[in-house]
Amino acid sequence: MNYFKHMIFGIAAILCNYSFAQKKVRYDLYVRDTVVNFAGKEKKAYSVNGQIPMPELHFTEGDTAEIYIHNELQTETSIHWHGLILPNEQDGVPYLTTAPIKAGTTHIYKFPLVQNGTYWYHSHTKLQEQVGMYGAFIIHKKKKQELPEYTMVLSDWTNMKPFEVHRRLHNANDWSAIKKAKIQKGAAQSYADAIADKSLGIKLMNEWKRMLAMDVSDVYYDKFLTNGKTEDEASQFKAGDKIRLRIINGSSSTYFWLKYAGGKINVVASDGMDVEPVEVDRLIIAVAEIYDVVVTIPSDSTAFEFLATSEDRIRNTSLWLGSGVKQLASPLEPLKYFEGMKMMNGMINMDGNLDDMGMNMSLQQMDMNVVMYPEITGRKNDRNTKEHDHSQMENQYNSNALSDIVTLNYSMLRSPTKTKLPDAPTKILNFTFTGNMNRYVWSINNKTVSETDKIMIKKGENVRIILYNNSMMRHPMHLHGHFFRIVNKHGDYSPLKNVLDIMPMETDTIEFAATESGDWFFHCHILYHMMSGMGRIFSYENSPPNPQLPDPKKALRKLYRDDREFHFMFENDFASNGNDGEMMYMNTRWKFQTEWRLGYMNEHGYEAEAHFGRYFGKMQWLFPYVGFDWRYRKMHSDEIEKNIFGQYNTKDLRSALCFGVQYTLPFMVVADGRIDSDGKFRLQLMREDIPLSKRLRMSLMYNSDLEYMGGLKYILSKTFALSAHYDSDMGFGGGFTFTY
Amino acid sequence: MKSILNLLIAIPTLLLSTSCDGQIKNAKIVTVKIDGNCEMCEKTIESAANQKKAASVDWNKDTKQATITYDDSKTTPDEILKRVALAGYDNEKFLAPDDAYAGLPGCCKYERNRKKSELKGSVTGKSEDTTTESTSVNQSTVTNQFKTIFDSYFELKNALVKTDAKMAGLKATHLTSQLNKVDMSKLENSQHEAWMKVYKDLIARSELIATAKNIEDQRTQFMVVSKNMHELAKVAKLDTAVYYQHCPMYNDGKGANWLSMENAVKNPYYGSQMLNCGKTIETIK
Repeated sequence: MNYFKHMIFGIAAILCNYSFAQKKVRYDLYVRDTVVNFAGKEKKAYSVNGQIPMPELHFTEGDTAEIYIHNELQTETSIHWHGLILPNEQDGVPYLTTAPIKAGTTHIYKFPLVQNGTYWYHSHTKLQEQVGMYGAFIIHKKKKQELPEYTMVLSDWTNMKPFEVHRRLHNANDWSAIKKAKIQKGAAQSYADAIADKSLGIKLMNEWKRMLAMDVSDVYYDKFLTNGKTEDEASQFKAGDKIRLRIINGSSSTYFWLKYAGGKINVVASDGMDVEPVEVDRLIIAVAEIYDVVVTIPSDSTAFEFLATSEDRIRNTSLWLGSGVKQLASPLEPLKYFEGMKMMNGMINMDGNLDDMGMNMSLQQMDMNVVMYPEITGRKNDRNTKEHDHSQMENQYNSNALSDIVTLNYSMLRSPTKTKLPDAPTKILNFTFTGNMNRYVWSINNKTVSETDKIMIKKGENVRIILYNNSMMRHPMHLHGHFFRIVNKHGDYSPLKNVLDIMPMETDTIEFAATESGDWFFHCHILYHMMSGMGRIFSYENSPPNPQLPDPKKALRKLYRDDREFHFMFENDFASNGNDGEMMYMNTRWKFQTEWRLGYMNEHGYEAEAHFGRYFGKMQWLFPYVGFDWRYRKMHSDEIEKNIFGQYNTKDLRSALCFGVQYTLPFMVVADGRIDSDGKFRLQLMREDIPLSKRLRMSLMYNSDLEYMGGLKYILSKTFALSAHYDSDMGFGGGFTFTY
Repeated sequence: MKSILNLLIAIPTLLLSTSCDGQIKNAKIVTVKIDGNCEMCEKTIESAANQKKAASVDWNKDTKQATITYDDSKTTPDEILKRVALAGYDNEKFLAPDDAYAGLPGCCKYERNRKKSELKGSVTGKSEDTTTESTSVNQSTVTNQFKTIFDSYFELKNALVKTDAKMAGLKATHLTSQLNKVDMSKLENSQHEAWMKVYKDLIARSELIATAKNIEDQRTQFMVVSKNMHELAKVAKLDTAVYYQHCPMYNDGKGANWLSMENAVKNPYYGSQMLNCGKTIETIK
């Protein structure tokens, strides 16, 4: 196990120095580059004090935390204290609340601990959290806990660099789906999978509605980890022990289902705040969410599995409680993707908006995904019973009414104390979550962080936010520096949390008392959604200047840079009849794109086109552009081409400016109409990457110059594919495609 | 150009040549104990454990010994034994999940000696199906003959609640065999009387459920089975309470009844479609 090269240095570096007079608790954290091998390959990562996850920090309510961050990386970093109530400049969002910790420097965080419970801390810089910068932050109650406890930090690991993951998401690259399909048949949701499932009609309807697949999670992870291990063991516990498990989801983009082989799970706290104990069979923990649960070890000489399964059910990680022969929890069966697709088809309008059909979904009570869960709605081959025959609409997606498995949802959480906000004027905000899966654009009210101004709030007022999720994925929304109430059926006893998971089509209301000062981030905690700009900044009016940010305007521009980032994509088909390729450079709205077709002979011709344009609308189906078009081809002397508009074209040598507009039609067919500076019209229809089978993709193109193309591509790896195509200019060709 | 074409031909040939080898390399062999009963167990255990080019397992039903041959660069005995346990079979390293064990056919229900009994009072709210199953199998000396019949009946009911036709079929087979085992001479007078009234119909319908093609047919028969079981319940003298429950909608609105070990309603006639439809009409103690 060659886990950490710097382990020895790391352990020596944990200096925990209690100074009783001031109740000051000091930790020194050394952030270093490291090489880890979590999933068969040596990969670069960041460790703190030589370990991943970062060390578990323990405090007692009332202590003052003094934490020294020694940045020994080549790059800047930051640490955010997730869920803590602290002065704004201690919050740790670089360029917004706190100075970034430059390479080679030490930054001191110092703040009093005014609360207790389970929290965590992580880097808030770029994608650093994905490669190891997350850890548990535990504040004990002043009164000693009566139960033994154990902390479970969940995380996800990919052998791909986070930068690559992010870039590929923006290019709708489906390598993740292929990797998943290697483990679980059908996960690629190709036409072949649909036919095998007798669901081709459903698949076609899904594409008609301009959706590519049912994405339950969009990143393929090689491993899921519990405290940095695939399986962690807590063998110190014996039969009869009741254990408080502090479960922190420190993953970048993975939701986990939690189950226990030893019986029921008693939920006692969430996001650090106590709730009235509630007994369940299972629960889902959102990205960045925290649950404290109490479980019992029922019998002797047995280790009981506490199983965490990724929402896409591709892999597990577990914690074994007790010692002896291992009692397994029953694993979650694969998702019925096409059932999910059928449900989605029913819920999505042709304009791309979601329609909850009057069900008023909220607080995870109606989980449309239950149609995909075999343990709730039966296995696929049991479908011969008449479905929905007697079912009432309101129970169709209610997991707890549909089965005897009790699943936790937010309406079951009740605060043990009154959480009613003080009487004060209330500012009401409406946030609609919007997104485009294919271009991986995530926003609120169709605006990213950098496209909006800060939302000004006044100290002393109450802020109520009505959230509606009109996107096709769930979002774990996190508010910095405050607890909000999730308004539910418990009224004055609505629970306090700082992460709210909101499912597609749900409407939830959260509210908080504005009691702080400064700027506070509210964002989706799926790392790649946050980096794409899904968030808002709450800013207190008349806040004192932040000493850590001497030039706030410049700092803000740095922050905005995250979601303005351009992503690069390159593809070239090295074929027997020529080279055929494409290059793109794009961000949330803008795209620069160039395409080329280069023959090996003058008769085949050479052509290149470049476009620069902007996407419009929240679905981003409309893309007007300006461009330049250059082509050369040696034609036989008497050959003249005529298009369907009766215009002639010699194509010999031509360079022209063009203006055009692309529009994504049903079936993901891109219609491209343009006029060039010679007055020539061209209308083109094109569909790329039709998923015939797990690895086989088809492309089709036809245009008004009577040119056409059909191609097949067999994906071998994330960068290479075998390809064959027929092109009306260049004829038949075969070769391989390189994709970056 | 030629060279590219050659390359194109070469790549698929290369791909093919590497994929026709079934031998286990770097083979290591270990023997472990896996619990099980019969030839059907052997089939299930071996097919769960075997993995192309990585693991091959030979289990002996008499000695309960499994010989595991595996490629130690690809897998570990733990991974193999975990798969066996997930298929329902306890072994030295892993215990099967309760529902995997419950899903085994009747003949494969081996005695779960490895599973330690639960400490009393330590576990809250365990659901009826898992606990009753494991205890009923473990107690080899059942004095009340009807108890085993009711245990099988409740398992059948639970399968119908889950709308699991396959499982219901298996449970009905089990029920049939339990019914056939009843020794009438050892029944008390009142029990004997009730038994004579219902047993033929009960066995016949239980067999029908076992052979039925779909869940609807199973439920139709289950309605009458439940009625007969109600007659037996009145005289069975079970040590726990049994609830007679009623769904007003089934059977074209004429209604149908069933027996349950718990007061909460879980409807076996509609399953998840209307799980909580119905009410308790009689409590038999």
